[in-house]
Amino acid sequence: MKQLLSWLQRMNERLAVAAGVLLLISVAVTLFDIIARPFQMSLGGTDELSGYAMAIATSWGISYALTSMAHVRIDLLRARCSSRGQALFDAIAILSLAAVAIVVAYRVWPVLAKTIKFNSTANTTLETPLWIPQSLWLAGWMWFAASSIIIAIAVISYIASGKFNEVNAVAGMRGEA
Amino acid sequence: MILFTSTGLLLLLTLSIPVGIVLFLLAFGIDIFFSPFPLMRGLGQIVWSSSNSATLIAIPFFVLLGEILVRSGIAQRTYKALEAWVSWLPGGLIHANIATATLFSATSGSSVATAATVASVAMPQADKLGYNPKLFSGAIAAGGTLGIMIPPSINLIVYGFLTETSIPQLFLAGLIPGLFLAVLFMVVTAILCAVNPSLGGPGIKANWGQRISGLADLIPLLGLFGTIVGSIYAGWATPTEAAAIGVAMAFLISAMHKAINRTMLIESLKGTVRTTAMIMLVVIGAYVLNFVLTASGVSRALQEFLQNLGMGALATLMVIVVMYIVLGFFIETLSLMVATIPIVVPIIVQLGYDKLWFGILMIILVEMALITPPVGLNLYVVQAARKSGRFSDVMIGVIPYALAMLVMVGLLILFPAIALFLPSHL
Repeated sequence: MKQLLSWLQRMNERLAVAAGVLLLISVAVTLFDIIARPFQMSLGGTDELSGYAMAIATSWGISYALTSMAHVRIDLLRARCSSRGQALFDAIAILSLAAVAIVVAYRVWPVLAKTIKFNSTANTTLETPLWIPQSLWLAGWMWFAASSIIIAIAVISYIASGKFNEVNAVAGMRGEA
Repeated sequence: MILFTSTGLLLLLTLSIPVGIVLFLLAFGIDIFFSPFPLMRGLGQIVWSSSNSATLIAIPFFVLLGEILVRSGIAQRTYKALEAWVSWLPGGLIHANIATATLFSATSGSSVATAATVASVAMPQADKLGYNPKLFSGAIAAGGTLGIMIPPSINLIVYGFLTETSIPQLFLAGLIPGLFLAVLFMVVTAILCAVNPSLGGPGIKANWGQRISGLADLIPLLGLFGTIVGSIYAGWATPTEAAAIGVAMAFLISAMHKAINRTMLIESLKGTVRTTAMIMLVVIGAYVLNFVLTASGVSRALQEFLQNLGMGALATLMVIVVMYIVLGFFIETLSLMVATIPIVVPIIVQLGYDKLWFGILMIILVEMALITPPVGLNLYVVQAARKSGRFSDVMIGVIPYALAMLVMVGLLILFPAIALFLPSHL
């Protein structure tokens, strides 16, 4: 279990760097567009590409925010509990997160399915075949569901064996935001 | 239905379920129990269209800009330069805390990062010069909150996106109240320290030579702020384009201080993706909830409910303000904003208030949430940087500034022009 969790952590860090690079590229494209504008050399469609970059970076980044425990939670009752109580709160949190992640991952399929069925392209000058950005975006949500299921299973097994500190280490709350 | 939504929101939040997930769960709940037709079939499309946005990509750009600046060591230089300029005032270095926090947060757009950075620079000085730690640390915590008001502000981008309000207009509206609040903080400090000098401490003796040479360290930051805000106001660039220019300038500034290397770059990217994803989960959740509330008629029911209460517009506004102050004790800025926008903003519009103006009012209210215990992130950040002393010091020190914010809330309600003057005249 530990190995799997630390693999997940490392994997998400790498994915986060990749998402960051995608954002950097997006900065560069936007800058190029600004510089080229006075010379009428603008690429056109920068907004469209930025939108795709944002959707993809977000869907992949959400897993990294999960493994680094960055998703905001309100620490009101939980803070007053013993480590056993805290572990229960953490379990509720990760189970509801996993449930939502699974529902979203299931519901994003029709978006891609429809795109493929009608062979949709963006209604823009670029005429981007939408399946390209959408499948990358969708894969990010799938990965989020997978990450949350792995963590949820870990949390449940740690609670079953009474390892409450371990729960805190994988699904607890960080002091800072 | 209204009861279900609001109690559900509070109950799930206190269970410490992540805020973004709570919004999704509420949306699912309303869909299952109250909607005459299934709304969640369209969930995928909503998630896609809420994150596929060239407007929202300004958020990671501004976060990245802040990450680069924080790691470039520019905060130390800014603090040194500003202390030469403002520490002759009664209250000495406390003014440098506020001024640095204002300038730094204006460019980086993050309250917590600002409070952390300024605290790490300023705290050693406080010990060395024998300052009273209360007001000194309170000023840093309060000053840090200004970042979400003075443009460019990530919170205003989120507000604009969720309420369909023009972001450049919001940026214009936030400028005067933000600077006004910074000046108000300094006035409060000067008055308190003039009445009771033991609250402050000695200033730094600086001559004009030092002040002028300090400008060299201020110019890059002022230039960065001026370029971003100026290009948006002038209509040359969208907020997203201005943010991209800002990132390039931050890289240049950082390169001037030889602060760029591989580790720094990777850490900045990771930090950017983490913060962005954290913000986006909440934003997407709010977008989904927004859709469900409107489609299932909850928003309309809420408005009818309020009309039947028969309270006047001002009384309702007061109830909303008090609600924000109370919730602010327990919930943090962005979550508080985003979770309440779908419910509160339609009411405000219905009452005949201006969305633009309310955005600024809401920002001050959620700024207060950052410094009101028990959950006030900036208080903890400053305390963490102090390494010693009691937490209650920061809590007490921040009270005068929290009161100043309340005064600002009152002023903004009495004189909406404080926010609306620039957008209506430019």
